[in-house]
Amino acid sequence: MTGLHPLTHKPGGRRFDSGDLASLVLGLALVGGIAAMIDWKFVRSLDFVVVVDYWQPLLKGALTTLFVTAAALVVGLALGIVIAILLQLPLGPLRWLLLLYVELWRNTPLIVQLFWIHFGLPVVTGVSPTALESGLLALTLQSSAYLADIARAGIQAVPRGQWQAGRALGLPTASLWLEVVLPQALKIMIPPFANLALSFLNGSALLGLIQVGELMTVATKISDYTFKPIEIMTAVGALYLVLNLVVGRLAHWLELATRTPR
Amino acid sequence: MGFDGGIILRHLPELSAGLRLTLLLAVVALLVGTALGFFGCLGKLLGRGLLFWIASIYVTVMRGVPEMVVMFWIYYCGPLVLGAKLSSFAAAATAMSLFAGAHLAEIFRAGILAVPRGQSEAARALGLPIFSQWVEIVLPQALRMMIPPFIGLVTLVIKISGLASAIGVAELVYEASIVSGQTYRYFELFSAVGVLYFLIIFPLSLTAQRYERVLARRSR
Repeated sequence: MTGLHPLTHKPGGRRFDSGDLASLVLGLALVGGIAAMIDWKFVRSLDFVVVVDYWQPLLKGALTTLFVTAAALVVGLALGIVIAILLQLPLGPLRWLLLLYVELWRNTPLIVQLFWIHFGLPVVTGVSPTALESGLLALTLQSSAYLADIARAGIQAVPRGQWQAGRALGLPTASLWLEVVLPQALKIMIPPFANLALSFLNGSALLGLIQVGELMTVATKISDYTFKPIEIMTAVGALYLVLNLVVGRLAHWLELATRTPR
Repeated sequence: MGFDGGIILRHLPELSAGLRLTLLLAVVALLVGTALGFFGCLGKLLGRGLLFWIASIYVTVMRGVPEMVVMFWIYYCGPLVLGAKLSSFAAAATAMSLFAGAHLAEIFRAGILAVPRGQSEAARALGLPIFSQWVEIVLPQALRMMIPPFIGLVTLVIKISGLASAIGVAELVYEASIVSGQTYRYFELFSAVGVLYFLIIFPLSLTAQRYERVLARRSR
């Protein structure tokens, strides 16, 4: 019989047993089932040359996606840290407003926020932002709310002894925050920040709806123009996946590189 | 142009029809996604060779590609499998189910792996049959740990359902866009829709946070 705990399930260098056989049979059945369902004549009629023809706008779109995501995350990180610090202070009603801000952005869909900013606000304020400005604003505000929460958790995870030691040494409040608490909190924040970065990278595809000019905008434009949505969407999906995996790797590497040796 | 709250009341029928479709999408995605997640988790935990790779590729791809791309892709790729174009609702529901399934596979897997090894080893040492080892020892503990991330996923799925408006599913965001396009009351309608989403999602988030705290206290 196979072991109980899943961790014990992957011993190397053993004989092919009933579990391997069951896996192989099920796997082949799945692959066969999917292959039988696909209309191969249709697949052969697809023309992926169009992706190669449009590689330049696609690349530009991908770079814009990276830029928009990075900008939103960097500004959001700064805002988030400020909000998290403010939340630690006894501010009375202002604290409640900040909490409301954070929870509102965290608990509504990005698409609603985007449309609210792009279509709703101009009616009230009289200022019409460009699609890029609206997109950046929506992403930044949402990331600031998520990052405020991440920063709050990071600050709280800094051991109490660090605060007490800082105070006992007579450090002024500014250096207590900047030199003792925040550097440690930032390190703790890396894994949740990386997760957020990945979800924003994918979330930014939504900006295609208001034609911000990032990868999804480019993709819908090309597929409308060439009438080859399947080829374009497949390629763009693959491109997003690659971006996602690369950013994920980088984040993992950063996490390892900044780990405090024990 | 002042704030005209009346516009929301006047278009309540459209909005409530949209809300119904939003919730329907979320429920379908969560039900189908739970089944997919169950098999995905099994495949990644117990599958070997080919089966393990199929489950891993499914989870990685569906978590690594934006939901919008998946939605458009399935909408356009209907003929590839079915020989006919899918309806926009079916395409959105399929995309959201695949998305939820991939995330749930990871949530289920993380929950099971988070049960301390000693628990299953003790169960085995006591000579419990494999069925009770799983059903009476590992799963009850794992399920408890899965509750907060599961609720988190529910909120994510509700948020993502708004994307279905892009392929023409008449859910909440779609209805709000149509009504505000006709009346030019974007601010009122999207504020109202935002508040509506908040009223649904916020209590769920709070519950997840509460439960997470309970779990943290218990494990101490």
